[in-house]
Amino acid sequence: MEEKNLSGEESLKLIHRMIYEAKGYFYETGLSAIIYGFSILVCTVLAWFFEKKLISFPFHPFLLMTPVFFIQGWVQYKEEKKKKVKTFTDEAIDYVWTGFFLSTFAALCGNFVNAGYIIVTIILFLTGFAVFITGLISKFRYNIFCGIICLLIAIISFFIQNVNIYLLLATDAVLVWLIPGFILRAHFKKQKHGRSELLL
Amino acid sequence: MFKDLDPILHSQLRLATMSLLISVKQAEFTFIKEKTNSTAGNLSVQVQKLKEAGYIEVIKEFKDNYPNTTCKITQKGIKAFEEYVKVLQQYLQVKK
Repeated sequence: MEEKNLSGEESLKLIHRMIYEAKGYFYETGLSAIIYGFSILVCTVLAWFFEKKLISFPFHPFLLMTPVFFIQGWVQYKEEKKKKVKTFTDEAIDYVWTGFFLSTFAALCGNFVNAGYIIVTIILFLTGFAVFITGLISKFRYNIFCGIICLLIAIISFFIQNVNIYLLLATDAVLVWLIPGFILRAHFKKQKHGRSELLL
Repeated sequence: MFKDLDPILHSQLRLATMSLLISVKQAEFTFIKEKTNSTAGNLSVQVQKLKEAGYIEVIKEFKDNYPNTTCKITQKGIKAFEEYVKVLQQYLQVKK
């Protein structure tokens, strides 16, 4: 960019172009979502087998999520450090998911009073809500559609207050984290490949 | 009577930098350099001028053992930018 005198119109055009460039920045590897999605999927399927007494486990399979939270938190932290730009959209989405995780933790405290499978229903509602709001903020249609499906799954869960509710949670894991995780990963690899081709 | 355009903002590279920063929470120096297609030296000088005017905040830290500079627009910068755009629009309306 050379330093030249700008006319009024040129100034406005420059402003619009730069705002467009800034809004176009996107950095998401999908790795965090894939890790979390796989973990939830594995834990829910194991929990289903465990509570059906088809397998034995020294502890409830959901306790496996404890180290996963730390690993996923560390991966997320590393990914955030690589971002060259932090947008207000990123910040808003972070707040939504922070709220989700805190609310999920609060719901899990229901285990202390043997609240039962209703805890899973609460988590299904929280997931649907969080992914729907994320979709609205980021204007990612898949998330909006997925959020609505997850809320319907949450409604269905009222009628499945038994061990099979875990299969609904497994479905959420695939819809909310695994599929978008792989989409983001493919998009990220394509962007990276495009950049390395430019360098050659 | 029309207000004069802010001379700090009425410069191609400084205006481009502020326009990028108005849309995001913060951006790295390398990102601004890439989007404005400027040299590191020139951008550094303009960023310093914006910092001295109080329009942006410059955060220097280390990332993976390399120095990293991040820029963030300040409230003063946002007000100045909005005022600049308002005056610009007034000029353009009169021209029509």
